[in-house]
Order: sequence, then structure tokens, then C-alpha cells
Amino acid sequence: MIIRNSFLTILAAHPAHGYGLKSSFEASTGGAWRLNAGQVYSTLSRLERDGLIQSSEADSPERRSWSITDDGQAAVASWYDTPVDNRSNRDELVIKVLVAVAAGERDMDRVLQTQRAATMRRLQEFTRHKIAAPPDSELPDLMLLDAMILRAEAEIRWLDQCEQRLQASAAS
Amino acid sequence: MTSTHQTEPTLSLVDASRLHGEGPQAVRALGPVSLDIFPGELVAIMGPSGSGKSTLLSLAGALDRPTEGKVLIEGRDLADLSLAELAALRRRVIGFVFQDLNLLPGLTALENVALPLELDGSPLEETRTRALEELERVGLKDLAHRFPDNLSGGEQQRVAIARAFVGPRHLLLADEPTGALDSVTGEAVMRLLKSQCARGRTVVLVTHDAAHAAWADRVLFLRDGHIVDETVAIDSTGATQHGLPGQVQQNPAQHSQPQPLSPV
Repeated sequence: MIIRNSFLTILAAHPAHGYGLKSSFEASTGGAWRLNAGQVYSTLSRLERDGLIQSSEADSPERRSWSITDDGQAAVASWYDTPVDNRSNRDELVIKVLVAVAAGERDMDRVLQTQRAATMRRLQEFTRHKIAAPPDSELPDLMLLDAMILRAEAEIRWLDQCEQRLQASAAS
Repeated sequence: MTSTHQTEPTLSLVDASRLHGEGPQAVRALGPVSLDIFPGELVAIMGPSGSGKSTLLSLAGALDRPTEGKVLIEGRDLADLSLAELAALRRRVIGFVFQDLNLLPGLTALENVALPLELDGSPLEETRTRALEELERVGLKDLAHRFPDNLSGGEQQRVAIARAFVGPRHLLLADEPTGALDSVTGEAVMRLLKSQCARGRTVVLVTHDAAHAAWADRVLFLRDGHIVDETVAIDSTGATQHGLPGQVQQNPAQHSQPQPLSPV
């Protein structure tokens, strides 16, 4: 759904060929997400089937120029009006720690520290990129970096808090 | 610890421990800990309260002595130094920055920065020149004659950093230097510390803030008085704007992590 809605959003701004959509999507997401041709054309054919986009006639799919329909415009508006629900509680790290605690793992410190060190390495790496980023960096690149830094930071804080809870629980 | 360094460490701890009390009642605040910190390094120390972070910093700064093992600054065993020599070391080599209450409120920024040189008996004119030079380096030359009360929290920390590096001083020991600052100001302080290290100065920083610790070349994790882990920043040579996400996708370790930036 993210690719589908992103394509619609790009096409709402201007018509594009399949390859142009792929490039626009990749550039606007700071390169976070690379698409293959199969994903691009299957997404486009579904959007066309649903009447959200239309294309000029051409002899091959690559040459068709896509534009948005009125229904497509409405779908973009509705996407903007719908907040993203990021309440996933199936984060692999969270589940791993919870299962380990429930199983009575004695060396939880080690489990938590292994993760903390790995996440810190990642955070150091992101921070290096931030330090090295030229002032005229593309906005999507900087915003993507911010998101990854804050996520890694939150993960470390959560691990710290797990450790404190386990200690408090062991002491009582 | 790191064999690639040819130079002498600025700071070394060799099996250093700090115990409080004696015999079976003794409480081990730290150690034994061994580590080398080299010129130009920014090293962060993280750990929960009571893990020995502040004890380590006190030993490194010659504010406290180890009960076992050694602390060396530029190869000199602190145990061999007289109190006068230790005091001279603190004036000429080591600067401290704390979370707050760093500056003397009755002195201007310039006078605060000049203080270690003045105490060391440098001529007044030289003291002033050096202090102003250092304030310029932290971007505060124009505020040199302000009193601490008329400076923001971030500016006060920058003055404290200038003082910690004034004249010959080149080893900064910092205890939660960004603890009282908002995140943007805290980041500016980290950027400043990083630039000081690029000049060959050395910073050891105790922090609980992971985002700030991540600015360090190395992060040491302390637990119950011991270093349990150390992470070294990956050299970001070849870091390009688009290099980051590509690397994230290629790094197999990432696949055990949630992939919020991938198709779901």
C-alpha cells in the first residue's frame, strides 16, 4: 500500500513513465527503498485496474505515460487524511527479550548488552553520516537519517529500562 | 588496547581499582579496569548509576587515587607525583566540564577561561591573549566580557570547554556535559568537542545519552565497575548521501532488526 499510495502522490503532481516513478520514489525517500521493475509495473497495472490512473497508448509498458484520474486524486487526499498507525507490537527485538525473560533466562544482562552494543554501533554509524553530511544535503536524506538515529536511540533507552526493571524485580 | 596507535596514550588505566572501606566490608566502586585513550580520541563512557563512571573519571583526573593498579597521564604514573605536581597537571593538562555550575559567577567569560593560566602564574597579557584565542575557537569571542548569568546554558558549556582547553591543556574530562541542555544545544556541544578532537585534543565523556555518546570514536560500557563492552565507530570512508540506506540493506545484521524502511 505504501508503494501504491506513493506512486499516486507522485502522479498527482505530474504524469510520469514507469521508470520516472521509480526514480522519483527512490529519490524522495532518500534511497531508503529500492524498487525493481516488477514491483513498479505490477503496482501500475493494479492502479490502472482500479481506475486510479490512466495511460497513453504505447506499444510497450515502458513507453506508457501515466497520469492520475479523479478517483486517484481522491485516494491521495484520503491517504493524507488517514494517520499512519505504527502501533506494531511485533518488533522482533521486543519479542525476543520478552520471550527470554518469560523463559527465565538467567543472563539477561548479556542478552541486553549484546543488543545495546550492536545498536550503539549502528547509532555511531548514523551519527558519522550526520557529521559528514554536507550542509546542502538533500532534505529526504537528512530526514531519513534523523528517523534512523531517533529509532536507534529509543531502542537503547528501552534496553536500559528493561535492565532497570529486571534489577528492580530481582531485588524485590 | 588498540594496536594501530603508534603514539603514547594520553591516558592509561592499568588494572586500576577503587575500593571504599577495607577487608570483607570493602565496596568495589571500580575495577580492575585497563584502558588506553590516545590523542585526538573522543571516548564516551556509558553505564547505569553506580557502575563506576564517575569514579573512573575521578581517577583519570587525579581527583582520586586508585586503591590498586595505576593511572598514567602521558606515561607518568600519577602515584609518583607530589600533590604540587598533581595540581600542576590539573592546571596544564586536564580540564573538567560538569553538567552545570562550571563557571565562577563573579568572573566574566574571559576571566573564567583565563583562570587556569592565571593560577599557573602566566603573565597577565599572555593569559588574556590565550583565553581570548580559546573563546574564539568556541565561537564566543564577542561574549568574552559577559558574566555567566548573561549567557545561555549552551554558551556557558562552551565557555567551560574553552577553559578546559586553554593554553597547554589538552585532555578534557566531562561528566554529563550535555545533561542540562536541550537536544539541539547538546548536539552543538558534541560537535564542538568533536572539532576539538580533530585538533588533536582528547575528550573522555561520561554520559547516559546514547545519541550524544554516538558522537564518540569509542563507547565503553561499564557495569558493576567493569568494562563489559566497547564499540568502535565504523570509519565512514565512502560515506555518501545514498550510501547509508544502501549499507543498511546490505548489512546482514540489520535483517534481524525490524525493517521499518522496507516494504511491509
